[in-house]
Amino acid sequence: MSTQISSRQLILDSVRAATERLPKQTAGWTELPRRYMRRGSLDAEARLRLMTERLREYDAEVVECAPGDLPAAVAARLAASGRHSFVAPEGLPGEWMAAGFDWKIDHALPTPEIETVEGVLTAATCGVAESGTIVLHHSAAEGRRVLTLLPDFHLCVLRASQVVETLPEYFDRCHTAPPLVTWISGPSATADIEMTRIKGVHGPRFLAVILVRDEV
Amino acid sequence: MSVAAGHRAVLDPELASPFPIAAEVELRNPQLRKNVAHAIDVIQAKRGRLVAEKTDWQQLRSAASAIRAHALENLGEYLAEFETRCTAAGGVVHWARDAAEARKIIVDLLRQENASEVIKIKTMTSAEIQLNPALEAAGVSVFETDLAEIILQLGDDEPSHIVVPALHVNRSQVREIFARRMGLPELSDDPRALTAAARNYLRRKFLDIPTAISGANFLIAETGGVAIVESEGNGRMCLTLPRTMITLAGIEKVLPRYQDLEVMLQVLARSATGERMNPYTSLWTGVTPGDGPQRFHVVLLDNGRSAILGKKTERQTLKCIRCGACQNACPVYRQTGGHAYGSVYGGPIGAILTPQLMRLEHAQTLPFASSLCGACYEVCPVKINIPEVLIELRAQVVDQERKQAGRVFDPMYLGMRAAGFVFMSAGRFRLAQWLGRAGLRLFTRKDGWIHALPSLGARWTGTRDLRGLPKQTFHEWWAQRGKEGS
Repeated sequence: MSTQISSRQLILDSVRAATERLPKQTAGWTELPRRYMRRGSLDAEARLRLMTERLREYDAEVVECAPGDLPAAVAARLAASGRHSFVAPEGLPGEWMAAGFDWKIDHALPTPEIETVEGVLTAATCGVAESGTIVLHHSAAEGRRVLTLLPDFHLCVLRASQVVETLPEYFDRCHTAPPLVTWISGPSATADIEMTRIKGVHGPRFLAVILVRDEV
Repeated sequence: MSVAAGHRAVLDPELASPFPIAAEVELRNPQLRKNVAHAIDVIQAKRGRLVAEKTDWQQLRSAASAIRAHALENLGEYLAEFETRCTAAGGVVHWARDAAEARKIIVDLLRQENASEVIKIKTMTSAEIQLNPALEAAGVSVFETDLAEIILQLGDDEPSHIVVPALHVNRSQVREIFARRMGLPELSDDPRALTAAARNYLRRKFLDIPTAISGANFLIAETGGVAIVESEGNGRMCLTLPRTMITLAGIEKVLPRYQDLEVMLQVLARSATGERMNPYTSLWTGVTPGDGPQRFHVVLLDNGRSAILGKKTERQTLKCIRCGACQNACPVYRQTGGHAYGSVYGGPIGAILTPQLMRLEHAQTLPFASSLCGACYEVCPVKINIPEVLIELRAQVVDQERKQAGRVFDPMYLGMRAAGFVFMSAGRFRLAQWLGRAGLRLFTRKDGWIHALPSLGARWTGTRDLRGLPKQTFHEWWAQRGKEGS
């Protein structure tokens, strides 16, 4: 342990000596230049249209529904996926779990059991329209990270009120920094072989989004 | 022997050939040059489109540059803050002064875990410290999980690009490697089939191997969080399924606050792969009960970085966020590919980073592996003035060489001294111009070009043509123009 402490001290000492050797060029963190676009300029309709467009560019399916129609919309998407077994995060609203499918609820399910299901249904924290990004904070209705990773199909419920236009607008909504975050921009992909984009490497190969029109 | 390169590239700066010699080998491999040119044309075109649509691109660059500069100027405070927060969240922070210490820390951690196998997310820093050979020597089997890294590992090859490490390998070469190493003789060369083969090859390993190693794109001082930017989901697999996670990160990777990601994520994906956002970015903080690895270690690596931090011109090198845009933009990299740089960091950023990490004891030819055209600076999302650092390092290399015994009569230094003497006087300069014109006229062909020069001059004309000198100098033309009274 003693060599660890001394390496820490040596590194920090040499870092501090190095930073003190030169005058500071930048101001404090709050004064750093931030003249980039913080807020978008689109109205609500155009913002949702952009979110949908960007998601579709990633080959994600997008459907819209009114808040009262959500359970029916979920059931329709699950049926359309042609899959039967699904996993649900512990805190997923009960009325989303459509009848007629096999549901496993994640009360600390072992990984091999999650590996056997065909799909997952979750809520989300935020949608960023400009890049078609879905942000998960892994709350009780969004589930542990493994749930949205192993199943091949991810159906995500995103509310219109959660959709922002720019990435900085998402950060403005975070009053405290979350400990776990996953930013998802389309299904897993690679372009490692001759820059040919191939959808679906290790994460879910299919992403579908239900956009709930809770505000217009 | 690597299929793609035809020989095994040496990416250890202590052992690699000087750039001009290594580059000559690569230049004789047309398949490699074709593969590299195709790949960077695709990325460059995508990047160009997505940068052009971003009306606040220059403002984002300025902010990204300022955030990185600010983080470096206060690095001691931010590192200490990161350590405190990460520890409070259940992580264990280790400090490594150099590559050997980092390797030892990681091998010791794996021994404590009784690990005989480990899965890895692509990390250039682990290649920098030559981690894989050390793990194999310690009896640990290493499984790379990034598709490009699998191609390289199974093909016994080395990375040639920071972001797309196997861009020098084409589909039929990948097919050959996978067919041979995965035992799939019927495999087609369709990238879809090749990707599926990699998915199957790795699936059980993700589920069964309880120990993982990663790098880090960003460390967040404010929260102790670590962020990884990726595309395939192999990163998420490694970050989520194992019992133990070991993250190796250079000390310069710290960002002050979580909110800084609003800038860095926007510039990184566009610069690296020409996407508005990469498919997956993960952020985790220490250990979360019930979710992901329950043992988490971070190894903070100095390995020459604090020495770079103390130098005025060179410090900006550490702002780098490893997007690879400078490689894609570089006319030299485009011709030679990455292996010629003799380091895991190729292209313009490698030409300045590698010699500095080596304290100029190795890789002294790299600062000269550039035409100083400035394309790298223009595309850099954190505004590293790479040409400025190249020139500074060139001066240091020359100073270093001049001090060596036996250099006094070196033709280059004799030439430089002669040039210095000539440039000091207008009369001598005019005389030299006249002599040069008279002498070079002998070698100038009818097309106005010099195709071959004798002796030392052949070192230039061996690989390029030289335009013949014009009949008049600008001064002579100007003076004559005045006399004619036009």
